[in-house]
Amino acid sequence: CDTLSSLNPFEKDEKYKPELVPDVPAANLYNEGLALMAKNEYPDASKKFDQIDKTYPRSEWARKALIMKTYASYEGGEFSESVNDARRYLTLYPNGEDAAYAQYLLAMSYYREVPDVTRDQERTEKALAAFQELVERHPRSEYAEDAKFKLQVVRDQLAGKEMEIGRYYLQRRNYTGAINRFRDVVSKYQTTRHVEEALQRLTEAYLALGVVSEAQTAAAVLGHNFPDSPWYKDAYKLLQSGGHEPREDTGSWISRTFRGFTRSVGLGG
Amino acid sequence: QVATAQSARGARAGAQTATVGAPLINRVVFQGNKKLKSEQLGPEMQTQARTPLSQSVVDGDIERIREIYRRGGRSLAKVDARVVPLSNDRVDVVFTIDEGDKTGVKEINFVGNNAFSSSRLRNLMTTTEMNFLSFLKNTDVYDPDRISADLELIRRYYLKNGYADFRVVSADAVFDAAREGYIVTITVDEGQQYRVSGVTVDSTVPEVQAAELQRLTRLSSGDVYNAEAVEKTLTNMTAELGRRGYPFLVVRPRGTRDPASHTIALDYVVEEGPRVYIERINVRGNTRSRDYVIRREFDIGEGDAYNQVLIDRAVRRLNNLGYFKTVRITNEPGSTPDRVVVNVDVEDQSTGQFSVSGGYSTSDGFIGEVAVSESNFLGRGQYVRLAGTWGQRTQGVEFSFTEPYFLGQRMAFGVDLFSKYTDNTNYSRYENRVTGGQLRLGLPITEEVTLTLRYSLYQSELKIPNTYSKPYNDCSIPLPGLTPVNPNGTATYPNCTWNGEASIAVKEAVGTTWTSLVGATLSYNTLDNIRDPRSGFYAEVKPEIAGLGGDSRFIRATAEARYYHELFDDVVGMIKVQGGHIRAFGGNDLRIVDNFFLGPSLVRGFAPSGIGPRDMTGDYRANALGGTTYFGGTLEVQFPIFGLPREFGLRGAVFADAGSLFGYEGNRFFDLNGDGSIYCPAAGTNPLSQEPECLNVRDDKKIRSSVGVSLLWQSPLGPLRFDYAFVLSKATGDQTQAFRFSGGTSF
Amino acid sequence: CSSTTETLTKGYVIDERVVAEMKPGTSVEKVLERMGTPSTVSTVGNKTFYYISQTFERPVQFMSPRLVEQRVLAIYFDKNFKVERLANYGLKDGVVFDFITRTTPTSGSELSLIGQLLRATGGGGGATFNPFGA
Repeated sequence: CDTLSSLNPFEKDEKYKPELVPDVPAANLYNEGLALMAKNEYPDASKKFDQIDKTYPRSEWARKALIMKTYASYEGGEFSESVNDARRYLTLYPNGEDAAYAQYLLAMSYYREVPDVTRDQERTEKALAAFQELVERHPRSEYAEDAKFKLQVVRDQLAGKEMEIGRYYLQRRNYTGAINRFRDVVSKYQTTRHVEEALQRLTEAYLALGVVSEAQTAAAVLGHNFPDSPWYKDAYKLLQSGGHEPREDTGSWISRTFRGFTRSVGLGG
Repeated sequence: QVATAQSARGARAGAQTATVGAPLINRVVFQGNKKLKSEQLGPEMQTQARTPLSQSVVDGDIERIREIYRRGGRSLAKVDARVVPLSNDRVDVVFTIDEGDKTGVKEINFVGNNAFSSSRLRNLMTTTEMNFLSFLKNTDVYDPDRISADLELIRRYYLKNGYADFRVVSADAVFDAAREGYIVTITVDEGQQYRVSGVTVDSTVPEVQAAELQRLTRLSSGDVYNAEAVEKTLTNMTAELGRRGYPFLVVRPRGTRDPASHTIALDYVVEEGPRVYIERINVRGNTRSRDYVIRREFDIGEGDAYNQVLIDRAVRRLNNLGYFKTVRITNEPGSTPDRVVVNVDVEDQSTGQFSVSGGYSTSDGFIGEVAVSESNFLGRGQYVRLAGTWGQRTQGVEFSFTEPYFLGQRMAFGVDLFSKYTDNTNYSRYENRVTGGQLRLGLPITEEVTLTLRYSLYQSELKIPNTYSKPYNDCSIPLPGLTPVNPNGTATYPNCTWNGEASIAVKEAVGTTWTSLVGATLSYNTLDNIRDPRSGFYAEVKPEIAGLGGDSRFIRATAEARYYHELFDDVVGMIKVQGGHIRAFGGNDLRIVDNFFLGPSLVRGFAPSGIGPRDMTGDYRANALGGTTYFGGTLEVQFPIFGLPREFGLRGAVFADAGSLFGYEGNRFFDLNGDGSIYCPAAGTNPLSQEPECLNVRDDKKIRSSVGVSLLWQSPLGPLRFDYAFVLSKATGDQTQAFRFSGGTSF
Repeated sequence: CSSTTETLTKGYVIDERVVAEMKPGTSVEKVLERMGTPSTVSTVGNKTFYYISQTFERPVQFMSPRLVEQRVLAIYFDKNFKVERLANYGLKDGVVFDFITRTTPTSGSELSLIGQLLRATGGGGGATFNPFGA
């Protein structure tokens, strides 16, 4: 039942030829996949595991194949693919035995593509959320420790972005914009390395505005919590040159939170 | 329960309820589909391989395929499915498709339009009627969303021309199986054309006196009402208020209609708007451009009062950068009622370009160019370009770099390095290689005025080819076997000029000269669109001084001004004036190479270097000497060619040019043979014993003029332009060239 | 030529009549309602509101705007959040100095030229991710 040949001749229509697709047992496909993984041929391995998933849907092999496919696409550097595979695994098998590993692969896929601070930090935010979920849902899994460390790094990256924009406004003497950005770093990203610089920048901004009391408080908090940080030395020198000593108003919530925080994390200095 | 051995063992994870006796599908196949490939159709289907067969699902898929084809403009497609049984209880599902012909919009009719003709209204719409070009385009596919968008375009057009009461009564599309397409009928109720009866400005705010803003109103009483002009007035007034430090004042238009006299009284009310500040500006989507490259285009920052005019200016600047496919600004409520968060969503586009372009123009012959450029280098907004050109008469290589925000300020610092060889022998018997570099600094003074400072240092190497194919110096250095020689071995004159000979002025200028030049360009630009201006004014003045070192010593100044005005719908008039003067200083003469060599760029219809002073001795047709002063004017009207469908991209133009180039200031006597005396026979004596050592300069201040017609084609290969000019007046010795073609494509 | 000079009013727009109403003892709700949200609040316990307004001048567009006028209106509150006193800081109070250029190192894969050429949208540049900077 051929149809009329249409207007443009060089496009041929596809013919139907009955032909049976042979069924290869799942175990063989799985081993072939593992063999390819050993040879670092990740794209082919990923296709092999995908075939299991399609040929034997909703079977134990399919579950194993899916986690291996996630791992293959992750190792192959195809992060957008590994994200989709990991998400599919987590929706199909939320409490499967490899769920922690899938969550870890998901977070690491975002983590590997975190750009420098001057560019959109969308992947950084997604990595943060994924690592947090891993720490909360699988606290005792072997990935929790590394997740905690990576959380610190990713938070540090987000703080770096806020600092970048804060400094942008500081240079242009838009003190309102700058102060609010540095305040965000001090309140939201206390555990990152940027908090020292944020406090020093607050000292600079308030001094430039002439509100000396605020400058002193910021410098005092910085000195109190990070006494030998180079940033504190700068802030101190700055206030000296401005002829004003840094003194801390102890009643403030910020000193209280910092006192509590230094004890728990033991980061001090 | 028919189940293969494998699926029984692995049934733990939620087995899907298989219909009793339904066989598993082995493969889903499509047949007879040409426009849409099977890979595109496969995923859309519910029937998938390895799922149990269900006739109701297959029927649903048939309908789905038909809908896909209908959206693609083939409403006549016929689809049916059959099941092919295979061994071990498996089946194949085969969809057979008969796509049928394209069923687009056959006709668009208008009812109730007496102010504007149906063809003018059709021209406004993006949807087009089917015609012999249909296989090329898809704007003639019936798409309801596109039709409704077109209706909005028509409504705005009527509002722009005074029909304040205009409304679309109905727009329905009937599928006519006989004509295999849709007939779209749009019924409109135009209402009356309103004129403006009066324009007043009221201010409910003490700080602002209404009178001050009166001058900004675009419409005055008696004019035809124009909704677009009202919108422009609002933005101008808001901008003025913003500039004066009242960012929270808003202007609300009030139009009171008087249907009896078809007039509208316009009233602009200045009142206190909401006091909203920007809490944060989030830049998102910039996978490549750095945050500051985007943020620095905003004159408004976090903590500032929300000002829509400044936001729009930033959007315009961001779009002009050319780094982004899309720039979209959305506002979200901030942490408190009077705070707003501005989200700037950009989509980086690949600004790297590797272009190979070819072209032909009557002045340069065939030209090919290979260029690599990146206009957002490393996301820092810097522009880098490396280009090599090869042509019949020009070869060259060029490198250019620009940092738009030098030292963090809006100063565009640029470096250009170039080496260009040109063979001018068709117009003036010499070849020239210019190699050098240039530093430039662009300083925007206001949104319209820009000052660019420049220092350039280049070496120009002038040679006269003396080969068997280009014997242009054989009177001085005879070529054996080609140049007729006297017994004493010198070339017989004037025979040696018949195969083309360079003027003695050119022979004198042979050699290498260094030029070190400081210049500036002051430009004023209010064009609405740089590439295809329809309204606005552009003017520039370019003073230059050469002489800080180097061999050339001259002062040169050129100026140009162009004014565009849309006469009426899509017809654009342009007036252009240009002029220039160069003068040597410091005692030595002007080099011939520094003169102005002008042709079609001054008056169309003349060959390149075809206008201006010329050495009339011997081979005068190709011995232009260039001039020191020129001026010129052009009047041109561009119009779409009626009757041809818009997608052709054809436009016509008629023009009139006039101008003149004169004033040869260089030396006129050259002791060629170095015998200490100048041999300069009176005009008309012959035979001449040797080549005269003085120029017979033809330097005529006469106005050259021409009228002509042009065809501009935005062809799929690139912009092409054909000019045919009829010369009205010329000076003796000028070289004319009626037809000119220039065009090129880059891919 | 002054005609091209552009005046940019930045930050909070002061309305003297409203400021006059902020006498000591006024409640914080009234301050927020009349003055609006402050530009920023003290890092010290949010007990001081700062309304920061600036005026810049830009003689020509390529030069960065010059700060010509700066005013900080500070409103201090007592324990039960009533206005205690007001204070004004002008441009002359501001100390002029250069901000420190050193920055805390950050990381993330820098956009390399190769990365940019290979990947149209510069997805990540492929450099390994070293959290503690250079």
